[in-house]
Amino acid sequence: MKSIFVALIFLAFISCNNNSDSTTKKNSSDKQNAIDAVLIDDSSVMQIPVMVERLNKIKKVLASPQPIILLDALDENAAIAQQIAIADTKFSENLFDKKTHQAFRNEIFNVYVARPQEIPSNLQNEKIYKIEMYNYALNLTTTALVNINNKSVVSVTTFSISQPEIPTHLKNIALQIAVNNPEVAKALGYKPEEKEALMANTKTALNNTKCERSLHLCVAPTFIKDNKALWVIVDLTDYKVVGIRWTNVGTTEAPENRISERKLKFEKIMECYCKKVTHLEKYNWKLNYVITTSDGMRISEVAYNDKIVVNNAKIVDWHVGYSNTDGFGYSDAVGCPEFSQAAVVAVSDPKVSDIVEAGKTIGFALEQSFSSEQWPLPCNYNYLQRFEFYNDGRFRTSGASLGRGCGNNGTYRPVFRIAFAGNKNNFSEWNSNNWKPWDKEQWKVQTPTTTYTKEGYQYKISDDNGTGFFIEPSRGQFNDGSRGDNAYVFVTKQHIDKDEGEKDLVTIGPCCNTDYRQGPEKFIEPAPENIVNSDLVVWYVPQMKNDDTKGHEYCWAESYLENGVYKTKIYPCMGGPMFVPLKK
Amino acid sequence: MKNILKISTVAATFLFASCTDKMPEEEIAQIGITPCRTQAPFVKKMGFNPSITAYSTTEKKQKGLVLLQIPKNPADTLGKIIWQDSSWKQFGFMGSITTDEPGNIYTAPIPMVNTLEVPTTEMNKIYKVDCNTAKMNLFCKLPKPDLTVEIVPFGVLGVYYDCHGKKLYAASVSGSTRDEEKGVIYVIDINTAKVVDLLKGYDAAGVFVGGTTGEKRLYFGSTRKPDIYSVELKKDGTFKNNKIKKELTLDQLGPRGNDKARRIRYDNAGNLIIHGVEFNYSLAAQSNKPETGYQFNYNEQEKKWDFVKLLN
Repeated sequence: MKSIFVALIFLAFISCNNNSDSTTKKNSSDKQNAIDAVLIDDSSVMQIPVMVERLNKIKKVLASPQPIILLDALDENAAIAQQIAIADTKFSENLFDKKTHQAFRNEIFNVYVARPQEIPSNLQNEKIYKIEMYNYALNLTTTALVNINNKSVVSVTTFSISQPEIPTHLKNIALQIAVNNPEVAKALGYKPEEKEALMANTKTALNNTKCERSLHLCVAPTFIKDNKALWVIVDLTDYKVVGIRWTNVGTTEAPENRISERKLKFEKIMECYCKKVTHLEKYNWKLNYVITTSDGMRISEVAYNDKIVVNNAKIVDWHVGYSNTDGFGYSDAVGCPEFSQAAVVAVSDPKVSDIVEAGKTIGFALEQSFSSEQWPLPCNYNYLQRFEFYNDGRFRTSGASLGRGCGNNGTYRPVFRIAFAGNKNNFSEWNSNNWKPWDKEQWKVQTPTTTYTKEGYQYKISDDNGTGFFIEPSRGQFNDGSRGDNAYVFVTKQHIDKDEGEKDLVTIGPCCNTDYRQGPEKFIEPAPENIVNSDLVVWYVPQMKNDDTKGHEYCWAESYLENGVYKTKIYPCMGGPMFVPLKK
Repeated sequence: MKNILKISTVAATFLFASCTDKMPEEEIAQIGITPCRTQAPFVKKMGFNPSITAYSTTEKKQKGLVLLQIPKNPADTLGKIIWQDSSWKQFGFMGSITTDEPGNIYTAPIPMVNTLEVPTTEMNKIYKVDCNTAKMNLFCKLPKPDLTVEIVPFGVLGVYYDCHGKKLYAASVSGSTRDEEKGVIYVIDINTAKVVDLLKGYDAAGVFVGGTTGEKRLYFGSTRKPDIYSVELKKDGTFKNNKIKKELTLDQLGPRGNDKARRIRYDNAGNLIIHGVEFNYSLAAQSNKPETGYQFNYNEQEKKWDFVKLLN
């Protein structure tokens, strides 16, 4: 008992958020820099004059027949070369989405006298210009060589996943976005001037800074303070700051410390949430959480009014089956972005937010999202794990698929594992009129004919003192857009001498079983154990069928064009039960 | 007398070793370039055109190894033929592939999305497809990892057969953890399937033996950093020493800027061709894992590899 107490106290002090400024200054290691990094998830465009002007220009250009932002202030020949290039049909081949005919955001980045090595040998004596155009939506560069002497296009080349050097006006925009970001000022201790930012145009996304996951155009204005450099990764596709991170300024470590979107995010998540347990105290609740290598976010030592009610809870697998016949699908583990068994990984900080109902805060939610790199492209996945804790003692474990997966005939089956506190628990099922105890480990599925108490409870778990929880499956009553869980519930006995999922579980079962065989049955069969007055684990497997029907999308995501670049519209399908305290 | 005998044995061994290890410059220069492999006889027997067939472990919805007949016109999707012997999928998803002179194929299991098919403990193995029977069987079992620590869910990530030394090289990260690089590069005798030498402490994927720099070297791509390293080999393919040399880096090159070398080979001119992919020791899956080709040319004067261009 003493050791448990010590462990809890210790955990309370190792959160990433507990690093004081003085600690940061003393420990300037790369690891500490990763911990101190800030991931910024605000997708709104900063309302600064340069951005207002920029967005107006974009909208005007997108509405024009030739949606290309041209390069201004060119000399006469360069301006002619630009006009010749944009008039070329091949050069202009990717200005519009071929299906919807909506305009992409295209911009001429550079027009210059071609370098000797860029000019074909037979044209060395001609006046050749090179024009570079960037397509933000497709992350595509198109270049043209134009012969000014005969006013013709010599050649056109496209480079996918490629970005030209950024022009000066974009450098200025990047700097404005960086210097006006409050996190940057907070990190530096003052609001920087534009001139203090280094390398914004010389270290472009193509060279030193990349947004590898979003495949957006990114640059990294960098601010030097003392012996450290603050990297601000600015996304010029979405006009936002992706995140900030310090590096140590030194001659030997420069290549190691180039900061990209992936490095910024992965190292922060690994150091702060995968290698460390975070303690959270809010309202009447105390708990610890960590991102696991394969079981998503795991909460543990969950206490309400200082009494531990749940030892731990997590989602061990996401099973995705695509048809009832051919067994095609995936069994996805979710978790840490590196050194893990996760197929879909955490790419953002956990989020804690209040739950407000009728203007009153009634609890809070802890959320963690996991995403495939190319989501929402087909066969890529995005999952949300959400724990809700209410002031009245209720709590909910839930998870959502945000699509998009490999087809429109998919069924998602997340496997929740909830280990309750106490070792004298009993489990009962509502049987139309009364509570029928389960004596042995077993499973049951929620169907249209399932009966519930008038409050909507299907099961209850209680200890020898009569305290515990009713279990209320989702039937669409939680105002989260859910269409109901149709859930399998398994109850197994927790063992001290053998691990049945208490530690990280590698994939527990295959993707595509459509019956009860979702994995937990392997801890029941072939000889179910007695579970009366026992330490119990409840496994909950909702089944959510995806839908891409227009207006009825579910477990789905769609890309659409906004201001000439792709955005994502999501249609989550949320599943998971509410646990309601028994009234003694 | 016994001591003298021992000394003369040592001397003889030394003389023999130095004699056999001496390689003419021309011989070294051809290592990794001169074609030495033939297509397996079963390919022709099955009615495939050996000149347009290839093996793959990355065909969608296909577990294990497949034989592809690729049409001359890539747009001719109907002309693409996929064939698989039933034994080629029985050991799960496979990764790196290499072949030997008569056309035997060597490959190793990798996890695909999860480790359900092949547990991590069973991943450190190499399988061989017999060039005559087309049957896949276990070729070599490498040590099982220590499961008491949180290890990476991978085993052998790269295999390469060197015709010159007649050795199979296998790069395994089995047993590595986030904090400890415990990968091993094994040198395996192709005839006995026994490990004859090893290099510990390097997590690697792509492996390759080449000699265009004037030395017979094993090149290997780190899976921790976007760097390619090399170590000198003896004529028989075992390690001459443990002096590891950093040859080049993919850092900041290509669309991702942090690729790890999945495959390393020479082109016909002796340029080093690196096939790079993202690798973070997770099972992160996506429908179409992007891969980029990088070409490097050896700068004789400065004794270093210069980046030439991206290949796709």
